[in-house]
Amino acid sequence: MPQITKETVGYIAKLARIACSEEQKEKILHDMKEILSYIELLNEVDTEGVEPCNIVLDCLTQTPLADDVCGPCMPKETFLKLAPDQIAGMVRVPEVLKQG
Amino acid sequence: MSLHTLSMHDITSRFQKGEVSATEIVKHTFARIEKFEPSLDAFLSLCKERALEKAEKLDLKKKQNQPLGRLAAVPIAIKDNINVEGEITTCGSKFLTNFRAPFNATVIDLLEKEDAIIIGKTNCDEFAMGSSTENSAFKKTKNPWKLSCAPGGSSGGSAAAVAARIVPLALGSDTGGSIRQPGSLCGIIGFKPTYGWVSRYGLVAFGSSLDQIGPLTRSVADAALAMEVMGKHDKLDSTSIPKERPPLLSEMKKPVAGMTIGVPWQFLEDLEPEYKKSFEESIKVCKSLGMKVVDVDLSILKYSVAIYYIVATAEASTNLARFDGVRYGVRSKVAKTLDEVYDLSRQDGFGPEVKRRIILGTFVLSSGYQDAYYRKAQKVRSLVIKKYKEAFEKCDLIATPTSPFSAFELGSIKDPLQMYLADIYTIGADLAGLPAMSLPSGFTQDGRPIGLQLTGPQLGEPTVFQGAAAFEDATQFYKKIPELFV
Amino acid sequence: MKQEKTSPWEVIIGLEIHAELNTKAKLFSGAPNHFGDEPNSNITPVCTGMPGALPVLNKEAVRKAVQFGCAVGAQVAKFSQFDRKSYFYPDNPRNFQITQFTHPIVIGGKIDAMVDGEEKHFHIHHAHLEDDAGMLKHFNTFAGVDFNRAGVPLLEIVSEPCMHTPKEASAYASAVKAILDAIDASDCNMEEGSLRVDVNISVRKKGEPGFRNKTEIKNMNSFSNLEKALHYEIGHQIAEYEKNQDKNPLDVIPQATYRYDPDQGKTILMRRKEQADDYRYFPEPDLLPLVLTEDFIEEVRKGLPELPLQKEKRYVEELKLSPPTAFAIAYDKKIAVYFEECLKYCQNAKSVANWILIEFAGRLKDKNLTLAETAIGPCHVASLVKNIDNGTISGKIAKSIADDMVEAPGKDPEEIIKENLAYRPITDPAVIAPIVDSVISANMQSAQDFIAGRDRAFAFLVGQVMKKTGGSASPELVNSLLKQKISEITPK
Repeated sequence: MPQITKETVGYIAKLARIACSEEQKEKILHDMKEILSYIELLNEVDTEGVEPCNIVLDCLTQTPLADDVCGPCMPKETFLKLAPDQIAGMVRVPEVLKQG
Repeated sequence: MSLHTLSMHDITSRFQKGEVSATEIVKHTFARIEKFEPSLDAFLSLCKERALEKAEKLDLKKKQNQPLGRLAAVPIAIKDNINVEGEITTCGSKFLTNFRAPFNATVIDLLEKEDAIIIGKTNCDEFAMGSSTENSAFKKTKNPWKLSCAPGGSSGGSAAAVAARIVPLALGSDTGGSIRQPGSLCGIIGFKPTYGWVSRYGLVAFGSSLDQIGPLTRSVADAALAMEVMGKHDKLDSTSIPKERPPLLSEMKKPVAGMTIGVPWQFLEDLEPEYKKSFEESIKVCKSLGMKVVDVDLSILKYSVAIYYIVATAEASTNLARFDGVRYGVRSKVAKTLDEVYDLSRQDGFGPEVKRRIILGTFVLSSGYQDAYYRKAQKVRSLVIKKYKEAFEKCDLIATPTSPFSAFELGSIKDPLQMYLADIYTIGADLAGLPAMSLPSGFTQDGRPIGLQLTGPQLGEPTVFQGAAAFEDATQFYKKIPELFV
Repeated sequence: MKQEKTSPWEVIIGLEIHAELNTKAKLFSGAPNHFGDEPNSNITPVCTGMPGALPVLNKEAVRKAVQFGCAVGAQVAKFSQFDRKSYFYPDNPRNFQITQFTHPIVIGGKIDAMVDGEEKHFHIHHAHLEDDAGMLKHFNTFAGVDFNRAGVPLLEIVSEPCMHTPKEASAYASAVKAILDAIDASDCNMEEGSLRVDVNISVRKKGEPGFRNKTEIKNMNSFSNLEKALHYEIGHQIAEYEKNQDKNPLDVIPQATYRYDPDQGKTILMRRKEQADDYRYFPEPDLLPLVLTEDFIEEVRKGLPELPLQKEKRYVEELKLSPPTAFAIAYDKKIAVYFEECLKYCQNAKSVANWILIEFAGRLKDKNLTLAETAIGPCHVASLVKNIDNGTISGKIAKSIADDMVEAPGKDPEEIIKENLAYRPITDPAVIAPIVDSVISANMQSAQDFIAGRDRAFAFLVGQVMKKTGGSASPELVNSLLKQKISEITPK
């Protein structure tokens, strides 16, 4: 069972982009410890030589391929209407650091 | 016989015969909603205009003797994590209170093509994460059999709407048992198809390798009809089964004498006495129908909850990443930077259970932990699939209770892990992609429904429906209606 | 800063090239794959990350990836898979990209390129398919996101870290571009962004085991900027190491991402890689494995057009062009097409090549045009060469005619010759004969040498006559008159 601390929770919450108050982090830490402790159960199972499950069904063997044809588009107005903020036909977000 | 006690078959048949109009049916449905919703809280939104418009169109079609669909005039409810174009899809979350779906889920197209009438969107645990519908950001649905109890989850609103005789068909989604468990707790049929049998296009994804849309109904025949309409190959879903689906209504009428039921007795050892007794009686019924009962080894399922809470949360953590306040949904009003748009919108928009699962899912995929958790879980999952295959070499169907307990008091289960363990009997079918149905099999001493679960092999829909139809016929539990909703 | 052989430093360069495939529709949806349209007009629920949307793989994108694999002699994987790569950014509609991390579609491969006249071999590590992100337009205090580009198919081609100079890097990139061009997999337009080159570069002392920290330079918009950026960065890294001899090398140059500023002529820091980004790759559950049959791969391989390398070899072997010339033509699709069209009219490949690559190229440089972009047709260039070869005009006159052709593109050189007296070679023996006489008298020894069997002496005499006539005598006439006059001389 790995050593999980509040820092771990903080780091993971950052990766998951969810702001958490100290209190929230405490609660999540508590729950995670409980759940991860339960999940330790899996270590009982011998999985030597077993492949991770990729597809559950025997009849689903390969991904279907679509023809290279253009289909109907989502109307621009429909899309922009859903956006919390927009400008000049684009979705608007606060200043962004250039990442390229 | 009141309209609301009729099966889907009977409603559409009466409509087609001209005995009742579509408008009457819809008006009756909304009248019942007005009467009962305040105590039931099954719906998040109603599609009154859409439904009345459709009813009008159907009545006109009937008048003009135009061909009518197989579900003509049947009022249906849709779980609020399935897109109905132009209607709000909240997924039970604050994040999406303003999200109007820009496209129809494929199942909606299929149902509307057969002239079903969409009445409204039903309540569910937020983003389908939960087993009691208490995780909905909006309201807590009540169990029609006992209003102080939960209807189960995550498709609790749909199950309650069907059990309360508001609609004869409601759609749910099942990732770890979210159709079958509420079906069981509400005393109705809840069916999860073989993975890929029904299109997932338009279902807001939770656990992509587990999710399936399925029907909640009051009879096996109604579920079969719904499945025949919804179970089609969809080229918009890459995991949609490419094969032709066999008919179910005709198949289910086949006699079951000689069919073998497998029971994993060892796995059921921890069942509480009341439920054990009820289950044993169900098995007696199967025997009386000429079914053979054998023991099968599914002890591996004791790991199913652990596997599920790694795989499903991992997939969910990425599926829910798109809810970031950028393109749709509710963006935090106080966010000033891009980072705040993400961090605050997601902090505000997601409830505690969703956050818990996203963080757990992110953790099990993170560098240094992925092998020990995600890959390990997927390996044990392979063994689960293998064990089921071995079991099906000895039997045609596997029988277990659907849930280790009946409807519990709202607010009584506070520990997340305890709630997770409610799915112990249902999760296996999701992990292995197998078809499984919960059907009413009895009641507790104080009148809360108990459910029997029948699981079939891959693509074993016909067998499941066959077994279920025979059991239903022999036990007739569907005849009992919750007192308050007669 | 030239990498001298005596430098104690060794440079290690790897390239990641992203090529937008020119399919009609996007990689996972039927939205149009088209550049330059109004923002958010080529979108579907899939490429905008709508709840409930699912990806379906485009067959043509797969075919183009396989074509590329076959063209570079790589192994085309019969089983490949897609993975989710998680990171949050506004141009990323799902906040995960669908890419191929563990099992890419193309493995290995070789790129041949000409560097400073020498043929070099470079190696590809792998190539994989992934979907492109949308576009961010940066303003002062905010940004706008356009999802037209989100979901466009990308073929990411990752090299081994096997290049050691900026020229090698640029030659490799040009060669990759030439192949993508030849198989028509991409528009390969660096300015429009359909071809993007990122480099990873580190230096180390010669013979030093292991690698020092590398920096990444992104999105250079031309091959020349690529070279400049690398020159700068190499110089910068070496200078830093030399300045900080006593520090641990791993603390001198941090792992970071830069962009090249062509105006300032240097690389600018974009962001540091404090810790490796945790992308949490795992198999994409909404897609099943991509399975390709041997038959399909063979079919694609057989259908490949002539590739630049094959063309180059053919030019060398059959047309006897020098390897650098052959390379320069073969690796530029437009020039190759033009060149081969010329050869329909004229078989002097070497001369045609020279006129295309040097004479006309030089004349058009100021106008910033390539020959294929002008109205000067291949038949015209061919005609010019033919007229030189059949002696109608001298090489010198031909150059003047070429100038005229550039000024009046589309005019047949034979027209130009007809219209211009000065270009018409002097064909009057009465004018040439005295000149021939005077040249022979002034160079009797050469005449004797020719009689004695030295052909070079004759060419010398021809040259002398041409010099005296300012290049305007008909070479044919000069030849025949000289021969005639020399035959009248008594051999000594």
